[in-house]
Amino acid sequence: MSTVMEATAPPVVHGEQRRSWAAVFALARFEARELLQYIPVAATLLFYVGYTGWKLVSPSDGMAAYPALQDADRATQTTPILLGIALFVCVNRAALRSRRRGTDRHFDVLVMEPWRRTVGHALSVVPFAVLTALVVLTQFTWQALRPGAVGHGSVAELAVAPLYVLLFGALGLLVARLIPSAFAAPILVIGLFTFLLFVATGTGGAQWSRWLSPVVSENSSSTLPSDLLGRPAAWHALYLAGLVLLAAMAAVLAAGGRSWPLKAGLAGALALALTGAVGQSGGVSPELAAARERATVSPEKEQSCVRHGASQYCAFDEWNARTGTWAGVVDRVQALAGGTAASRPLLVRQRIEARYGLDGDAAIEPSTTPGQVTVGTRWGGNRVPEFAVGVASVLVGGDEKTGSELCDGRMVTVMWLALGRDADPVADLRNVRVDDSLSGPATVLTPTNPMPMSTGQTDVVRELLSRPRADVTAAVKSHWAQLTARGVTTAEVARVLGTKVPKGADECGQ
Amino acid sequence: MTPTVSASGLSLRFGGTQALDEVSLRLTSGVTGLLGPNGAGKTTLLRVLATAVPPDRGAFTVLGQDPATAAGRQEVRRRLGYLPQTPGFHPDFSAFEFVDYVAILKELTDRGARHREVRRVLDEVDLADVRAKRIKKLSGGMRQRVALAAALVGDPGFLVLDEPTVGLDPEQRMRFRELIAQAGEGRTVLLSTHQTEDVAMLCHRVLVMAGGRIRFDGTPAELTARAGGRVWSSTERDPGAKAGWRTGTGTFRNVGSPPAGADLLEPTLEDGYLLTLDGAGAEVAAA
Repeated sequence: MSTVMEATAPPVVHGEQRRSWAAVFALARFEARELLQYIPVAATLLFYVGYTGWKLVSPSDGMAAYPALQDADRATQTTPILLGIALFVCVNRAALRSRRRGTDRHFDVLVMEPWRRTVGHALSVVPFAVLTALVVLTQFTWQALRPGAVGHGSVAELAVAPLYVLLFGALGLLVARLIPSAFAAPILVIGLFTFLLFVATGTGGAQWSRWLSPVVSENSSSTLPSDLLGRPAAWHALYLAGLVLLAAMAAVLAAGGRSWPLKAGLAGALALALTGAVGQSGGVSPELAAARERATVSPEKEQSCVRHGASQYCAFDEWNARTGTWAGVVDRVQALAGGTAASRPLLVRQRIEARYGLDGDAAIEPSTTPGQVTVGTRWGGNRVPEFAVGVASVLVGGDEKTGSELCDGRMVTVMWLALGRDADPVADLRNVRVDDSLSGPATVLTPTNPMPMSTGQTDVVRELLSRPRADVTAAVKSHWAQLTARGVTTAEVARVLGTKVPKGADECGQ
Repeated sequence: MTPTVSASGLSLRFGGTQALDEVSLRLTSGVTGLLGPNGAGKTTLLRVLATAVPPDRGAFTVLGQDPATAAGRQEVRRRLGYLPQTPGFHPDFSAFEFVDYVAILKELTDRGARHREVRRVLDEVDLADVRAKRIKKLSGGMRQRVALAAALVGDPGFLVLDEPTVGLDPEQRMRFRELIAQAGEGRTVLLSTHQTEDVAMLCHRVLVMAGGRIRFDGTPAELTARAGGRVWSSTERDPGAKAGWRTGTGTFRNVGSPPAGADLLEPTLEDGYLLTLDGAGAEVAAA
């Protein structure tokens, strides 16, 4: 049967510029705004920005004022992980919204095809990645602008957080397109982490498996020159970028995108991810291992030296700007010393244990070279009085090895020299002792081996630090030879300096 | 004279069911009603014309575009408004956000112009005061008007409405009729419904479907005229009637072939519809 109703078709008004891709961007903006209204996204974003800002303005210790930028770049990577997980779940939820609410039937006859809607969802994560990048840049720039900053950051390390924020969003979208169930995303978050954990532990933490994770943290808290880090950051960034594109394009493909540029892009993304994965799994090259060995065993070949006063200061290039700060501590310690120690030329050398990279912390052996003092790569906070103890032990003992083995009354002199001119010497005494105590025996930290301090020595030092500085300084200078003589007892030192005499003989560790 | 919709020989089978069977039609400006029992193929026809599902056989054009091609389909969708039988909503969206979302999916990209258009259609369906309210807080009738606004956004040339008045109370239905009549001014509206009163009051044309085929095409008056001389009253239900029921006055209203000398009544569109269905072999049950 044929039905005919004759009339003229009404003119259709097209007042709008309807450009397909502009619509996709409009959708992305809309969805980004919607994502911001999801509680997990809003809460984690607030936490991320708030916590990062709070950490910047309220540093946890004095070392924060002296950042090494090759560590500061990595420090930007872990905090946004919660935002990433929230985006994974919420992008998934947003992508399933039409299905869940039964609007698919309607939306499927609208102009924007499902695959382009999927592109819109993928792009909705971009503002969050941009925001993450801004926070990362602020965080890093803040550190770089600190007067005590040294070293070099890596753009690739800085790119990790924004990239994995994008990756989590793209994965949430892909899961929505492959498994259209609201329960899939949370289960997969747990599954993914469990999988990565098993892969990492199952392969004994091998380089290739460790670097499959979006964020690769290190076991060591030590700081190395940036060229000795051996982190394949650029490869990893490439790997993450490849994964982002792969996940996003696979989601678009699953949503019905069938164009050849998409298929070519998918193949390209896969190649990118694989290239990155292969590149980052290379491990430590022989050249890097040799450079680490040189820097550890014969740092003098890698360093440049400058003179401040009578002493020489040798540092890896990235730390040259810090030699003046070290010289200030040396001058302060020597100002309290007597005899020839007050003007003795020292060689302050920066030393590191780089042979294990960032896989673990290893102690630096004390030097046996007379007059050589070791300084580490970190500075500020407790590292300052620890270095002062190292300087004082060399002035009293002659070299680091001897200084670290002092087991008599000279320990009192070492501690007075190290702390006597500090603004808050009692606090620094507490800080250099491992157990943060002010009484009893304790181990005192230095840049190399720790030193033992007995109960009696602690009592004498604490009393000296409470007395007028000028009086003690005068007494130390006038009895310098006696106070620094091998075998002098703590009791003798106490008598000479006029403090309460401790009972018992000197026994290390008491 | 170009028809808005021109279809010829549309057929579509779902498994063992012939949902559409050689349907041909041409639609032009104004509201055309589509009547038929459940399973007649109304929704399937609407979904085919709305480009949601392609026919197995046959061809059609909408606003001069051929939906069989990707470009033609996109062009049709740009100029199509569709209100599905059970429209879904995003309950956490406000009315404005939902219509705006649909407008984006219709590729209205200029933000300012789009927002003006969204406000316009919400005004048109009388929801201006509640446009910022979340959909989950709106009544059923208001939600249905949000769905109509979403169908109207972008000023479509062809509007497909699938049972838009189902579940509405009489007042809301009346309001909806006004809106549909208004929407039909200057554009082509295809209205699927079970409500013969809607068709009688709104439509200048009516199609009756049964078994996937169009059984009647004409004006509501012509459909009503089909029952001329075939409706009568009696004190008992006439066993020869196709349908018969006791009315409020206590007499029976019978539809079918009246006996000689029967007390004939003025037919309604519903009588014509029932007789058309009966002629098509459909079962008509009357209480």
